[in-house]
Amino acid sequence: MATVQIFRQTGKQLLGAARCAVATSPSIRNKYYIVTPPEESMEWNDVTDRAVNNMFLLEIFRGMGITFSYLLREPATINYPFEKGPLSPRFRGEHALRRYPSGEERCIACKLCEAICPAQAITIEAEERPDGSRRTTRYDIDMTKCIYCGFCQEACPVDAIVEGPNFEFSTETHEEMLYNKEKLLNNGDKWESEIAANIQADHLYR
Amino acid sequence: MLRLPLIRAAGLSGCRLGATGLHTTASKLQAPPEQIEVFIDDIPVLVDPGTTVLQAAAKIGVEIPRFCYHERLAVAGNCRMCLVEIEKQIKPVAACAMPVMKGWRVKTNSDLTRKAREGVMEFLLVNHPLDCPICDQGGECDLQDQSMAFGNDRSRFVDINFSGKRAVEDKDVGPLIKTVMTRCIHCTRCIRFASEVAGVDDLGTTGRGSDMQVGTYVEKMFLSELSGNVIDLCPVGALTSKPYAFVARPWETRRTDSIDVLDAVGSNIVVSTRSGEVLRVLPRLNEEINEEWLSDKSRFACDGLKRQRLLTPMMKVDSKLQPVEWEDALVAASRALQQAPATKIAAVTGKLADAEALISLKDLFNKLGSETLATEQPFPKDGAGIDLRSSYIMNNKIAGIEEADVVVLIGTNPRFEAPLVNTRLRKSYLHREQTIALIGPEVDLTYEYEHLGDSAEVISQLKNGTHPFCATLKNAKAPLIILGAEQLGRSDGSKILAETQALAASLGKTVQAPENWKVLNVLHSNASQVAALDLGYGSSLAEIKAQNPQVLFLLGADDADIKREDFPNTFIIYLGSHGDQGACIADVVLPGAAYTEKNASYVNTEGRAQQTGTAVNPPGMARPDWKIIRALSEFIGVRLPYDTIHDVRGRLEQVAPHLVRYGDIEPANYFAQALELAKKTGSFASDPLELKQKTLDEFFMTDVVSRASPTMAKCVQAVIKQRQAQL
Amino acid sequence: MAKFFGVDKVVRFFQIVRDNGGIRGSLRALYRRDELKSGTLIGEDKYGNRYFENNMHFYGRNRWVEYADHVGLDYNASQVPPEWFGWLHYKTDLPPYKDPSRPNYKWMLDHTENMTGTRDAYMPYSTTRPKIEAWKPK
Repeated sequence: MATVQIFRQTGKQLLGAARCAVATSPSIRNKYYIVTPPEESMEWNDVTDRAVNNMFLLEIFRGMGITFSYLLREPATINYPFEKGPLSPRFRGEHALRRYPSGEERCIACKLCEAICPAQAITIEAEERPDGSRRTTRYDIDMTKCIYCGFCQEACPVDAIVEGPNFEFSTETHEEMLYNKEKLLNNGDKWESEIAANIQADHLYR
Repeated sequence: MLRLPLIRAAGLSGCRLGATGLHTTASKLQAPPEQIEVFIDDIPVLVDPGTTVLQAAAKIGVEIPRFCYHERLAVAGNCRMCLVEIEKQIKPVAACAMPVMKGWRVKTNSDLTRKAREGVMEFLLVNHPLDCPICDQGGECDLQDQSMAFGNDRSRFVDINFSGKRAVEDKDVGPLIKTVMTRCIHCTRCIRFASEVAGVDDLGTTGRGSDMQVGTYVEKMFLSELSGNVIDLCPVGALTSKPYAFVARPWETRRTDSIDVLDAVGSNIVVSTRSGEVLRVLPRLNEEINEEWLSDKSRFACDGLKRQRLLTPMMKVDSKLQPVEWEDALVAASRALQQAPATKIAAVTGKLADAEALISLKDLFNKLGSETLATEQPFPKDGAGIDLRSSYIMNNKIAGIEEADVVVLIGTNPRFEAPLVNTRLRKSYLHREQTIALIGPEVDLTYEYEHLGDSAEVISQLKNGTHPFCATLKNAKAPLIILGAEQLGRSDGSKILAETQALAASLGKTVQAPENWKVLNVLHSNASQVAALDLGYGSSLAEIKAQNPQVLFLLGADDADIKREDFPNTFIIYLGSHGDQGACIADVVLPGAAYTEKNASYVNTEGRAQQTGTAVNPPGMARPDWKIIRALSEFIGVRLPYDTIHDVRGRLEQVAPHLVRYGDIEPANYFAQALELAKKTGSFASDPLELKQKTLDEFFMTDVVSRASPTMAKCVQAVIKQRQAQL
Repeated sequence: MAKFFGVDKVVRFFQIVRDNGGIRGSLRALYRRDELKSGTLIGEDKYGNRYFENNMHFYGRNRWVEYADHVGLDYNASQVPPEWFGWLHYKTDLPPYKDPSRPNYKWMLDHTENMTGTRDAYMPYSTTRPKIEAWKPK
């Protein structure tokens, strides 16, 4: 019954299309679709079919069946704080200032990161340390200005500023996102294990 | 000295010397020689014979890269960066040293030229360390820029373990210049500057080839009042500023054009600032005043702008100065001024006061009925003194010094009072055979001079023709007298001025050279002095002391000999930027702005009005001086009629129109009248002429800013240490 | 046959319940983690967090952390120390104790969780001297 219906419908459409194609000039548009829903058939058979569908809530039951089946299936989402999604070694997360293995801070205050930062989130002040080396006295990153483009770590000639893997550093207040030098160095000291692993993983490609 | 060999060189090839870029006026006097035509990149250009290829190229805007060549220094020709191809010559030639010949076709962008540059660049970089990230020159480095523009884009230097890279030990040349000699490319600009301009033959080279080193031969500091200029001259990061070490990059600083006020020369400067902090001061080109040099005090004293600052108004509470609100301080000051009778108030201005503050203060005092306004440095009032402008400015202008052939310095040490006037004298001495004579204490002026004695009597002797030097003076075509303003503060100041005016007048009769040649020049050492005299600050400290005022207003007067003991019952109001002598004795302290923090007018010793720019905002609660005086006037109830800086300048224009014609000099020409007025004479005091600044250590700390500066203190220490080591 | 009727699923369910410490343990685990899973214990870090792997689950769910018991419900994603971070995020298959390339310098600091909202939260402060020094009257 239904197949016949479908055939009838399509047959009508095809005929209509053919008629249309003949009527208009073949040059520009000779193909179209009827987008308005077809008129509901008022044949007795169709009317009873629809009535049964509606009265016994068949579609609802079918839908509930699908829903129930998903209860038994494995969920497609991950259970976040326990399971975590895959991350690239190149992931650009929270910034950190690194140290040399000796414990000496790497940053030499060349200010290339400050210069390249498109959001102007980095502020550096530097002076000569008593031992004559060039070091920063201020290394502030406004993490709310930062767009995490990673230009700073690309610009750094000594691999001092890196965007570490950590992305779980959201805070409740704005002030907490205004990182200073000590916070960044602490980040580096905490995350060195993972930062070093990331650099190791990526070293062939740079 | 440098003088003789250069003259010999001039004798051998006069055109060559002219070509070295010594902008003398010699060529103006001689008949212009026939010009020759050369072609730079096929563009014809007409130049004087003797012009170098580089200058000819510059004439049509073709820039030839160079490291060692500098317009104001002798040609060295040792960096080879300026090699260019000349048609029909087999080898590329050094453009900076090669005078053009008729019809030459120079190719500044041919394959040969480019290859030559690349090769030179490669050789320079072989021994240059790759430490740009920690180099202070980074961002303003000639080597960086030129290797970007002319260097090869790839390196043949593949042996990264090569250990033969040249490494040179750093030298300790003093507290101002940091050396990283490994970066040196041996352009010898610093050496040439030291021996030609600064007149200190301390720097030189040792060794040759790749063993060549620039240094001081023996362990010695490079101490000069102009030493900072080698930092600007150094094309690489070998010589950098020590106080500015690692502080900032050129691209992050904001530059404000301004005027230096630490001496009366009015050098044009650029103030580099970042986030409300003055980081460094650089010279700005002004051929009329400072060329492109700057004295060390002007350059390095800027860290004094951050120390010892007055940030809040202060008032004596329980005989101790306590920070208070503006209102309290202004009320206290205004009450004191209101209560005192008009004859019992007085004001003294310091050396850093700007014209706006000076006019506001004068207007305020005039409204209160007082005319007792003095400058810190006394200027004789009797005679023509302050009434005729020609008797207190440098009439010949600073650039005019180069045109003089005989210069008599009276009671001045231009080397330390105005180092950039001294460079002009030295330049003329070296290249124009200027004869220089000095009356006053014998000091090292970096050139040879005839010492005529240290007594003021010598002036009279010169005038009367009884001095042996008069023979020289008589033959002078363009004589010049530079009188130190310091001497006019002596008890016989008016006599000295009168006698000098008479001497100038007698010399003026013999002048042969240019029209309008004036002879008398007064060299001030205080930046505010000329403006104050222009505005009619006519009183003196002695008068004020005699008056025993009830209220004394100090406008940044810290260098005058004002002691609390002299004014036991006086209410002292101090308005200034730094806590120094003035603030110590004050009852009310009003924090003013320093010269980098206000848009203010200053008049230099030539009488040239110039304005400073607001590089940073005044710190804390400090405000521009004229605004404070304006506010005070309102508290007193005699409101001054100006609200904006433009109104103040309008008032300045009413009083002295030339004070707002920035950059221009209003010539003064009342010598005859001044001489008439100066006829009544006193007699000379018996003590010899004395100077405050005789040796280098006395040069560095002369005002509140430089006294607050740790760098200047280090300089003084270094000079004393070096002197003791040499003894 | 058992698989056809889905019996293995039931078996696995009971296995998971057993692994999680019986019915009571499972209910507690479910309450805390919203999920019951069992896998092989790969390691435990010094803060008491345990790391599991079960490749039966699809990639992205096959590694997980059970936060230390003492934190209770105050578990937090930032409690995972950097050593295990890479393994948990599938950057490496080597747990830290099998990875020789991980540095261990003496200046390295212990991991701390994200302290925001607590008293130990980071607050910015200036690391430079004041720019302008005021004059102090004697």
